Amino acid sequence: MDQFVNTLFNGVSLSSIILLTSLGLAITFGLMRVINMAHGEFVMIGAYTTYVVQEIFNKYLPESMRDIYYFAAIPAAFFVTFLLGSLLEKLVIRRLYGREIDSLLATWGISLILQQAARSIFGTQGVNVNAPSFLNGGITIGGCTFSYNRLFIILMVALCLFLVWLIMYKSNFGKQMRAVMQNRTMAQCMGINSRKVDNITFAIGSGLAGIAGCSVALLGSIDSTVGQSYIVNSFMAVVLGGVGKLLGTVIGSTIIGSASIFTENYTSSTIAKAIVLLIVIIFLQKRPQGLFVIKSRNLDE
Amino acid sequence: MLKLKNVDSYYGESRVIEGLSLDIPKGKIVGLIGRNGVGKSTTLKSIMGIVKTPCGEILFDGENIIKKPVYERVKMGIGYVPQGRDIFPHMTVQENIELGLQPLGGKGTVPDYLYDLFPILPKFAKRKGGDLSGGQQQQLAIARALAADPKILILDEPTEGIQPSIIKDIGAAIKKINEWKGITVLLVEQYLDFVMQNTDTVNVMEKGCIVFSSNTADADAAEVQRLMTE
Repeated sequence: MDQFVNTLFNGVSLSSIILLTSLGLAITFGLMRVINMAHGEFVMIGAYTTYVVQEIFNKYLPESMRDIYYFAAIPAAFFVTFLLGSLLEKLVIRRLYGREIDSLLATWGISLILQQAARSIFGTQGVNVNAPSFLNGGITIGGCTFSYNRLFIILMVALCLFLVWLIMYKSNFGKQMRAVMQNRTMAQCMGINSRKVDNITFAIGSGLAGIAGCSVALLGSIDSTVGQSYIVNSFMAVVLGGVGKLLGTVIGSTIIGSASIFTENYTSSTIAKAIVLLIVIIFLQKRPQGLFVIKSRNLDE
Repeated sequence: MLKLKNVDSYYGESRVIEGLSLDIPKGKIVGLIGRNGVGKSTTLKSIMGIVKTPCGEILFDGENIIKKPVYERVKMGIGYVPQGRDIFPHMTVQENIELGLQPLGGKGTVPDYLYDLFPILPKFAKRKGGDLSGGQQQQLAIARALAADPKILILDEPTEGIQPSIIKDIGAAIKKINEWKGITVLLVEQYLDFVMQNTDTVNVMEKGCIVFSSNTADADAAEVQRLMTE
């Protein structure tokens, strides 16, 4: 029983990280239909930003204040990736809307450039972020241990999810964003500057990847390929949940994360990846539009 | 209020409208009628800035808006109801109407008279726009275009695919918004009777040009019909 609860907790923890990377993808891929192969590199940039903030705190602040670096790293990771996302949209993505294969190739090239840039700046060896001391240890209930850093990540993901929901469904910008994604020309005819909305939307998706990087940094070594390990699962989560549906992304991430951990527990990590991929393929054969299908009289898809 | 002077319009490389001039006086309901493919919808899209218009002038309240992006033209006071309605199918009726407030920065409230004009809308406020019937969607699209109190309302074939009773309601609504709010209306249609009943002036379009223009009261419906079928 204890082993099952531990596995379940690890499943939820992995799901939450996949969800955080998927949230950004759900926006850039799910809503904007841009296949951003560089999304994983934004996770990597977020992780390196966390490392840089830690180093700045270590160098310039007294030891007693070093623990709070992480609270500065979260907004820093968001803003750095937000700005880079905005720049990428302005310089590249804007010219590729509606050309999915072209955007896939272009962003793949950008991902390679970003990986190489990371290697040139930080070296080929991985760097480590020390979790703040208050995140060391965990709660032990019976034979189960719930580590503080994983609990913290779950909490952070829940907060991000809530903020994304607020932006999308309760703000005027969210309304503009949904209008542009549903019908760009008509949104312009409503007085919406669709270029500005596209840019901010893409930047928010990238910023969320940055926050995901911040959480990934707590779990292991950071190198130029750190984002790649999550990106395949994240794409699967978005597609499985149903492209364009926020709730679908949440459920998709939970399924992918839990299935990975449970199968890994009884097999190996390589076999687990293959099994999860197989499950997703079989599921999409039966239900190509994913778990949640948007129904209406006149779909614009 | 709105003047087109020698406007050329293009879809890609092909010119659809050549040297079009049209005058829409303030406070009037102006009809633009013609067969399929003569350039009626393209004229409206040119006014909105949706299609390329490299030549000519589009004067709105004396200002040439030909180089302005779509959203700025809307903010200046041009409300647009496209052919096929183009409501946002995954948004609720209420959200669709409130999108009409974007020219005001998304602030303010939807004018009450719109709910008097289209009483079906508050009843279906929480329904998805895509779940409404064609007639209901048309009413929603008109209400949405009027939410920010535009100076001119541009309607592209509002009777297309709509049942006769709703067509009558839409005709009445067009007249009311013109009378109550003084909103100028440019109405593109193929349905001659609707234009003859609801407009002040009628223009017939053929191959991208205006070939007939008259006060609707003075126009001979048979002559207009002949021009349309010739």
